[in-house]
Amino acid sequence: MTAPAIEVSGLTKRFGDFTAVESVSFEVAAGEVFGLLGPNGAGKSTIIRMLCGILLPSGGEGRVGGHSVSREPEAVRARIGYMSQRFSLYLDLTAEENLEFYGGIYGVAPERLRARMEWAVEMTGLRGQLMRLAGELPAGWRQRLALCCALLHEPEVVFLDEPTAGVDPISRRRFWDVIYDLATAGVTSLVTTHYMDEAERCDRLALIYDGRLIALDRPQEMKAAPRAEVVVEVECDDPGRALAALGEAPDVRHARLHGARLHAHVARSEQAPARVREALAGAGVRCSRASIVEPTMEDVFVSLVREAEEQR
Amino acid sequence: MSAGRLLALADKEMRHLLRDPRSLGVALLLPVVLLVLYGYAINFDLKQIPLAVYDPDRSRESRDLVESLTRGEHFRLAAVLAGPGEAEAALQRRQVKVALILPEKFAADLAAGRATSVQTLVSGADSLTASISLSYLEAMLQDWWVRRGPAASGGSLEFRRVSPQVRIWYNEDLASVNFIIPGLVVVILMMLAALLTSQTVVREREQGTIEGLVVSPVTGSEVVLGKLLPYVGVALADVALVAAAGALLFHVPMRGDALLLLALTLVYLCAALGAGMLISVHTGSQQVAFMLAFVGTLLPTILLTGFVFPVSSMPKALQMMVQLHPATHFMVIVRAVALKGVGLGVLWPRALALAALAAALLGASIKGFKKTL
Amino acid sequence: MLIGAPILQLFIFGYAVTLDIKHIQMVVADRDRSCESRELVGSFLRSGYFDLRGRVDSPADLDRPLEAGEALVGLYVPQDFSKRLARGEPAPVQLVIDGTDMNSAGVAGGYAAALIAHYAAAGGPAPPLTHQPRIWYNPGLRSMNYMVPAVICMILGTVMTAVTAMAVVRERETGTLEQLVVTPIRPAELMLAKTLPFAGIGMLDVALVIVLARYWFGVGLAGSLLLLLASSAIFLLTTLGLGLFISTLSRTQQQAMLTAFFVLMPSVILSGFLFPIENMPQVIQWLTYLIPLRYFVEIVRGIFLQGSGVAILWPQLTALIALGGTIFALSAARFQKRLG
Repeated sequence: MTAPAIEVSGLTKRFGDFTAVESVSFEVAAGEVFGLLGPNGAGKSTIIRMLCGILLPSGGEGRVGGHSVSREPEAVRARIGYMSQRFSLYLDLTAEENLEFYGGIYGVAPERLRARMEWAVEMTGLRGQLMRLAGELPAGWRQRLALCCALLHEPEVVFLDEPTAGVDPISRRRFWDVIYDLATAGVTSLVTTHYMDEAERCDRLALIYDGRLIALDRPQEMKAAPRAEVVVEVECDDPGRALAALGEAPDVRHARLHGARLHAHVARSEQAPARVREALAGAGVRCSRASIVEPTMEDVFVSLVREAEEQR
Repeated sequence: MSAGRLLALADKEMRHLLRDPRSLGVALLLPVVLLVLYGYAINFDLKQIPLAVYDPDRSRESRDLVESLTRGEHFRLAAVLAGPGEAEAALQRRQVKVALILPEKFAADLAAGRATSVQTLVSGADSLTASISLSYLEAMLQDWWVRRGPAASGGSLEFRRVSPQVRIWYNEDLASVNFIIPGLVVVILMMLAALLTSQTVVREREQGTIEGLVVSPVTGSEVVLGKLLPYVGVALADVALVAAAGALLFHVPMRGDALLLLALTLVYLCAALGAGMLISVHTGSQQVAFMLAFVGTLLPTILLTGFVFPVSSMPKALQMMVQLHPATHFMVIVRAVALKGVGLGVLWPRALALAALAAALLGASIKGFKKTL
Repeated sequence: MLIGAPILQLFIFGYAVTLDIKHIQMVVADRDRSCESRELVGSFLRSGYFDLRGRVDSPADLDRPLEAGEALVGLYVPQDFSKRLARGEPAPVQLVIDGTDMNSAGVAGGYAAALIAHYAAAGGPAPPLTHQPRIWYNPGLRSMNYMVPAVICMILGTVMTAVTAMAVVRERETGTLEQLVVTPIRPAELMLAKTLPFAGIGMLDVALVIVLARYWFGVGLAGSLLLLLASSAIFLLTTLGLGLFISTLSRTQQQAMLTAFFVLMPSVILSGFLFPIENMPQVIQWLTYLIPLRYFVEIVRGIFLQGSGVAILWPQLTALIALGGTIFALSAARFQKRLG
């Protein structure tokens, strides 16, 4: 059994009085696509930065590729690739120059660098765009360029911090194709995101809220896990009023809009849909459908967050 | 330290420079433009200072005195006053800068060996010119006295016939160009170098690309030195242009070893660039970096390092403090090599100080570039 | 930062800048070593102008200290000095002065001439011919009085411009300017909004410097405070307008910075704050009429030192208003084009 690519145990980070990350522990196996999901400010970026050796942990241990992030940061840095939220591209340099630079500072030998750049161009479809200034590329291309820069030196582990921020859905899809290709090749990816749909694409997911790990599992298991509540999906003619009505209803723990529909979190019971219809009828809302559905990632997240808060 | 990484960083920095031709152009041309502008503009040779004279005595002696004062190139007789009260008006109107008021019984007093005195009025609003005018007057007055006094006093006074022989060395004509131009070079280089490098690291911080650097295997010294190299090139080009201008346009002599001066200039550049780098490493925004670089180099370099005001005239505490400024030492070095023709044998303490400062500034920059945020 | 820097500058320059040249380092080669020669050398050292750096044996040894910059003046009294004086013959003494710094050289020469003359006439009760200088407006020729007004000018004239330029360009870089442009705000309002904070800080700086100058350095305001503040406000118009103009010329903060530097450096040196304009070549003197800082320096010095009022300063004030208005109008035109 090979050692995990990433081992985190009790990782903590405090900034003065404020605790950004509190005692987080998890492991990531080699070749996994691991997601850190959570709202903005939950501490995901802080965790990634600690694992990259940029931020010194206040407590706990992190090991990447077998090296300690606190004690051997340089060894860690040599083995990882990192794509920051802002892509870290030099906007006044061409795509090619950016690639050459990152290849240079990661010590990729010139011949190897040529091959890697070829690969990068193929994988991202940047052929013909190499001479353009990075600042002139649309966001989707820039994202891919940034990813290539992070991968030139063939790292074992790649950290991607909100890699799809501000990128169109088609580019996002393509991006994830690349991640899967990498995983097949044995590269471990740790991705942070606040997009629920992306979260579902990860092999395993860690839910981070308020600096703490509130759940760790495969996405499917999270959704399938028996919970104390179920999700009733509602289609009706006046979502606004329905939302208000459900907010008042006694059995409904939480209600929110889901596109044009509503998701109501109700105490687990077979009567749940009926109760929902009652509440809506009482408010004079005509409801065409109310049925139990499998929770989406977002639903799971909302439930878990609420549970975590109640436990406190 | 990896040469590969260092070169990659230097190459990138060079490309940044080349991608911004306007900044590059300014960086290359500004020094020489400034040198030419200031070289022609700044002139301390107080010549033809307009003088107003009130001479009630009108004796041979008094006329002789006035004539000796206005004969040379320092003063010219701009107005003859009818009364002492007119002096103030003449000064206020800026018609004259100095008013000379002779006593009524000038010749008679001298002949009798009585104490007499000459009054001068100067406007202190422009104190630089005022104090220099006064010292010229003093010198010329006493010079006249030493030459004419024995005759004027008709032997009623004892005189010791001391004859002063004054020799001016290194800058025989007391031409201010020779003093100002080398000083200007020091000032301009300092400011430009610090300004340019002050932006380098902090720009990456503002744009967010610094994370990409921090996460990579590059070390602090590679980053600092890599960013420094292209600017050394620019600065050396500046030096060449400026030196050529100084020699060709202003005929500033070069009596010493040009190669020595070049080597020491390189050291000075490292110090100046290092100062800017140090600022860049520690600030969060380009604006603040600029302000620190500008305020930290402009006025101090002009006013405190011996460019105009001699360091030896400053309060002792301040004198010691300015030794920490590279320009203070280089100022002495440039003038000494160019005008006095001296070499390392005499200048080694200054050269050593300069090298130490350069090493300290660069070292501090490297240390300051933290790989952990 | 914008507040601390001027205060710091005021402190440093107030104390450092001295136009009074004292403690001139002197080396002496006294080959005579008689009473007379000692009296002569003594009179130099007692004057307070010259400090004895060292004694050397022969005139040839005077070279080294002067070369090394350790001494400014070398005094050589030949062996037969006292003998010649006794015989009533002219007794030469040699003074070598390092002419590199012609100001110090000139002043040193002046002091030396006076001291020698006093020595020469030492037979009488008091040196018969004395020189009484009267200096107006700045009786002690206190450099402080001269420089404090200058600091005010420097603060407002330099840093403000550059910082304004960079701030606006920064907004353009980060895209926040675009966000403002799409709002109903009018360009003129936007310009004002960008510059007013800096104007406020600038005026605060001026007030601080005036207070410090008065209560710490003892440099009082001879003229009207109101006039000074009003003139500062007008001057701010020009510097901030210039900053705005520069921002319309620059794409990046680095460009803004270098452009500002390009414009500010000449105006600082040519403004007359340190180097007299009258001494400059005619062409350059004409150029200085375009530099707002030149007028502001005259105004500030006039108000501080001479208590001048509007009656005397109106030409400078008019010039400032004219220049300020033009610059602001130009900036506004360019700003509009850039936004629209």
